[in-house]
Amino acid sequence: MTFTSAHLVALLPIVVLGGAAIVVLLLAAFSPSRRVTTGATAIALAATLATLPIAARVIPLDVSPLIRIDGAALLYTGLLVACTLGVLGLSTAYLKGLGESVGELCILLVTAALGAAVLSASSHFASLFLGIELVSVSLFALLAYARDEKPNLEASLKYVILSGVSSAFLLFGIALVYTELGTLEFARIAELVPLESASSVYIAGGLGFVIAGIAFKMSLVPFHLWTPDVYQGAPAPITAFLATVSKGAVFVVLLRYFMLADAYAYRPLIVALSLLAGASMLLGNVLALLQNNVKRILAYSSIAHIGYLLVAFIAGGAVAIESASYYLAAYLASSIGAFGVVAILSSGVEGETQTLREYRGLYWRRPWLAAVFSLMLLSLAGIPLTMGFVAKFYVVAASIDASLWVLLALVIVGSGIGLFYYLRVLVTLYLEPDDVTPDGARAAAAPSGHVVLAVASVAVIWLGIFPAQLIDVVRALAFTNG
Amino acid sequence: MLANYLPILIFVIVAAGLGVVLLGIGFVLGRGQKDQEKLSAYECGFEAFEDTRNRFDVRYYLVAILFILFDLELAFFVPWAVSLDAVGLFGIGAMGVFLALLVVGFIYEWKKGALEWD
Amino acid sequence: MLDMLWLVPLLPLAGSAILMVTRGELSARTVAVIGAGSVGLSAVAALLVASGFLASDGDTVRSGIATWIASDRLVLRFGLHLDALSLVMILVITLVGFLIHLYSTAYMAGDEGFSRFFAYMNLFTAAMLVLVLADNLLLLYLGWEGVGLCSYLLIGFWYKDPANGYAARKAFVVTRAGDTAMLIGLLLLATSLGTLEIAELLERAESSWAVGSGIATAAAALLLAGAVGKSAQLPLQTWLPDAMAGPTPVSALIHAATMVTAGVYLIARTHTLFSLAPDVQLAVAVIGALTLLGAAFAALAQRDIKRILAYSTMSQIGYMFLALGVGAWSAAIFHFMTHAFFKALLFLAAGALILALHHEQDIFRMGGLRRRLPAVFWTFLIGAAALASVPLVTSGFYSKEQILAGAWAFDRGGALLGLAGLVAAFVTSVYIFRAVFIVFFGPQAGHGDAADVALVDGRGESTRGGRIALLLPLVALAMLSIVGGFVDAPASAFSDFMSTALPRAETAENETAAVMLEITAAIVSLAGIVVAYRLFFPHGGRVKAPAVRERAPWPAALDRLWASGWGFDRAYDALFVKPFVAIAAALRGDPVDDAYSGVAAGLRAAWRGAAESQTGELRWYAAGMLAGLVIVLAVALLL
Repeated sequence: MTFTSAHLVALLPIVVLGGAAIVVLLLAAFSPSRRVTTGATAIALAATLATLPIAARVIPLDVSPLIRIDGAALLYTGLLVACTLGVLGLSTAYLKGLGESVGELCILLVTAALGAAVLSASSHFASLFLGIELVSVSLFALLAYARDEKPNLEASLKYVILSGVSSAFLLFGIALVYTELGTLEFARIAELVPLESASSVYIAGGLGFVIAGIAFKMSLVPFHLWTPDVYQGAPAPITAFLATVSKGAVFVVLLRYFMLADAYAYRPLIVALSLLAGASMLLGNVLALLQNNVKRILAYSSIAHIGYLLVAFIAGGAVAIESASYYLAAYLASSIGAFGVVAILSSGVEGETQTLREYRGLYWRRPWLAAVFSLMLLSLAGIPLTMGFVAKFYVVAASIDASLWVLLALVIVGSGIGLFYYLRVLVTLYLEPDDVTPDGARAAAAPSGHVVLAVASVAVIWLGIFPAQLIDVVRALAFTNG
Repeated sequence: MLANYLPILIFVIVAAGLGVVLLGIGFVLGRGQKDQEKLSAYECGFEAFEDTRNRFDVRYYLVAILFILFDLELAFFVPWAVSLDAVGLFGIGAMGVFLALLVVGFIYEWKKGALEWD
Repeated sequence: MLDMLWLVPLLPLAGSAILMVTRGELSARTVAVIGAGSVGLSAVAALLVASGFLASDGDTVRSGIATWIASDRLVLRFGLHLDALSLVMILVITLVGFLIHLYSTAYMAGDEGFSRFFAYMNLFTAAMLVLVLADNLLLLYLGWEGVGLCSYLLIGFWYKDPANGYAARKAFVVTRAGDTAMLIGLLLLATSLGTLEIAELLERAESSWAVGSGIATAAAALLLAGAVGKSAQLPLQTWLPDAMAGPTPVSALIHAATMVTAGVYLIARTHTLFSLAPDVQLAVAVIGALTLLGAAFAALAQRDIKRILAYSTMSQIGYMFLALGVGAWSAAIFHFMTHAFFKALLFLAAGALILALHHEQDIFRMGGLRRRLPAVFWTFLIGAAALASVPLVTSGFYSKEQILAGAWAFDRGGALLGLAGLVAAFVTSVYIFRAVFIVFFGPQAGHGDAADVALVDGRGESTRGGRIALLLPLVALAMLSIVGGFVDAPASAFSDFMSTALPRAETAENETAAVMLEITAAIVSLAGIVVAYRLFFPHGGRVKAPAVRERAPWPAALDRLWASGWGFDRAYDALFVKPFVAIAAALRGDPVDDAYSGVAAGLRAAWRGAAESQTGELRWYAAGMLAGLVIVLAVALLL
């Protein structure tokens, strides 16, 4: 194939991220100053965002069979890299409290972002697997970043082993598909499947394995069991990363696969995903019901939210892409905000600030953080004037559009249950404080974290009130993949 | 097309079968006079003086992992070198980038002191 | 003159409003002036209206000031309606009401709720006047509920004693049962006839409904239920004796003279409907006859002087119902008027006794009070005579005689009804003179410190003003009790006047039969007094042991039955209260809420079960993934 300048331009975001990884690696090797390292990383991530409009000039464009840069790829890359930037902001304050070096975190975040960008643009099972592993391997180390904290190690170990299992599923599934079709390109699969018997054991089984592998990454029920443990044990900013970038990237690649390989035509797959989505909505919300650990509550909440997201996805068609994209954005912003509050409150706190008791009366001690947390909880619960409301409205609209009545009922039931535990946390924030007072003194010195929260809050409110501004972008970009 | 994988299946069967057969022959034909000495662990002709599950320095792993990293590099080089005619200049450039990355990694581990024993 | 009609209900309303707004901050004197004065002025206005009405040709006067409800199908005004019937009612209400208010200024003096008392009393008077003047049934219903509310407030006036609150609730709830039926009746009338304007409604009913038709019967029966509740007739009579928990002037005004006769008024006002439903009208007569007999016997066995009078009231209203039922419309209203006089008199006199004896109400703990309280004795005696319808000299005789005559002339079981009336008249004489003889004659029983019984105000000081305020109404009512009968006898001025509003009763065609009836009634009445004298007069001043003195001259079981008012309370308790309380107790835990809390409990259980799956064990998690894989593969492969 010939490699033209247009290809290079289209690849710019990925190239910049890759280059950034090298630069940060060298910086980490030579510069002892955390400010230089984090500053350079932030600039690199921002530069990646800046390249998106440039790349947008040449889309859609296939850069090798592995990567297809189109509007959706750029949109999701932008969302995920922005989330990574947010996690970086939260991490610096957190690590300062922890007394850990920051260089390796920057490297790993950049490589994970690179993986996410690859996934966003993936059009091939090979790049899919590479992207997933880039994100996962980075996460192995990130999860255990505070090496002296036992929970960190436990979380990392659990994730490593189970992630290995899921990768095995994924690889085996890919192999089975290749066995039958002899290709790993999404678009080629779409061409070949109708020719072959649609009920081929290899394709059905292979795609089943692939779904199982991906379901683990998105922590869909019953692949979710690791989620609360790992979320609880991981450093709070990394939990935020796990909940947002890692899940989002995998969802994006699933969406791309379904769009490019025209997998919507394959009913059993849709049925399987519907089952997983329904179970996730129901069990995720039920599990959060009386949970007393805020990180676990948010973990279960994220399980349920991916369920909602899948409903929009399953609906299929134009509305599905629009609603799933908006939902993803809403989920990312709200989750970054919610975990961000936890991260800031946990900065420099032994064993983090996790139990509901420690959040009691937060409003009276840290009104700003309590307000942001409330906003994020309301958004996650889907209360109007937040992004979460518009997003849930979209999901409902999409499911009605596609006559997914059972899933719609589960969305409603799940939201009803969800409201209970979101409000339970919310109320706790405003109760009279009692003797359990988290040490917030050191956490106050975290300007970057507060900037992240401010941006997330503004996004949640602004795009909640004026959703059209985001929807227009989604419409302009998400459908340029032809 | 599944037939293409027949040799692999045969290979798997033969490998598994060989293991089972060899162990089975020993089990069936062995005289089986078991005494204290025969049941003890065999360790190069002298008695075990220590439990096998003792701890040793984590740096062994570090060195081993770093070794494997650069060892695997060769696994890429061999097919590349063989097919150099086919991949041409683009191939040379790509390998250059790859090597550069490895070098950066090497610099990093050197600066981090991963290669120093103490 | 007739323009002043609006002032009649408005004045007491204004008085009530002033007293409520000032919340007891006015001096007692000012309160008394406002409280009694507003009703007094209202009485003056009523008299002026009456003179204007009599001066005119007697046509119905209607005046409306504002539209109340204007819907597509129903238009109602705040309108008043004055005819002979309502004129008599407002005159009695305002005049007797004024006298009782005046009396109350002394009776209630010193009570901490003095101002509140007059606020309620004025409000009651206003509501009662609205009730009788209303030109549509909804406004009437407003007054109807207004008097019910005031009755509730006044029965429970001394709210610190829970028993009073209980009595008030009982009155409210029992009458409410009737009120609900009445409201349904109103709705039935409004929907089927398209109007609630009384005159219009009656016209339409007459023109569109056949006699005895189902809808007329239903409407009349529903109105009758309301009337029965308010007028304490069978089977909704049980609240009245307990209503005596209120201050005595309240009993006099509300539970004797006015409110309890609202049912009589309602039936008289809508008599056309009842004429269209002869069965219901017969039921009115039967209910009246049963009540008057039953209540008269119950009164025989009471020890509490106010309860005697309460059962007596019930019984006398039974007479009025009987009159209504047999079509003696004007006799019913005539008896209403005379009854208002003498029953108010009896209550007020009893109140004076109670006040003098420091709230002693048991007649067996009174005795020989004739000499101590001569004024009370004589006025009570006049009231008792009127109640017993002592011939010729009392008003009660004339009104009761008209009713009996009407009953005899009735063609559906008139003889039985008349006989019931006669028997009850005899019993009435017995029970009221039982009270007279026990209370006023014989040796003085107990109450040594009451030797100097004086009419005192609440501060224990006898004041001249208080004495006049207490005695003047007694004297005035006593005179009315005597002369009140002469408005219709010997000349039938009252009946003629009433005939402008109500149909004239068919009089007994046989002149001699009428005379015979009068003589019989007179003999019965006097015989009752003689029997009472034989049975209850404390002869020779010998002090009998209380046990002997209090023993009833009839079987003890009968005495207990009568004393308990024929056991209705116990029956209702078993029939309604207990099941209701049982249902309420069963519902106390909000079983409907259980559905919701069931959801919550179910979710909690689900959470507990689901949380079990979070073991923290890696192999279990891997097993979960494997299970998921199996499910996904099963779906992918088998579908």
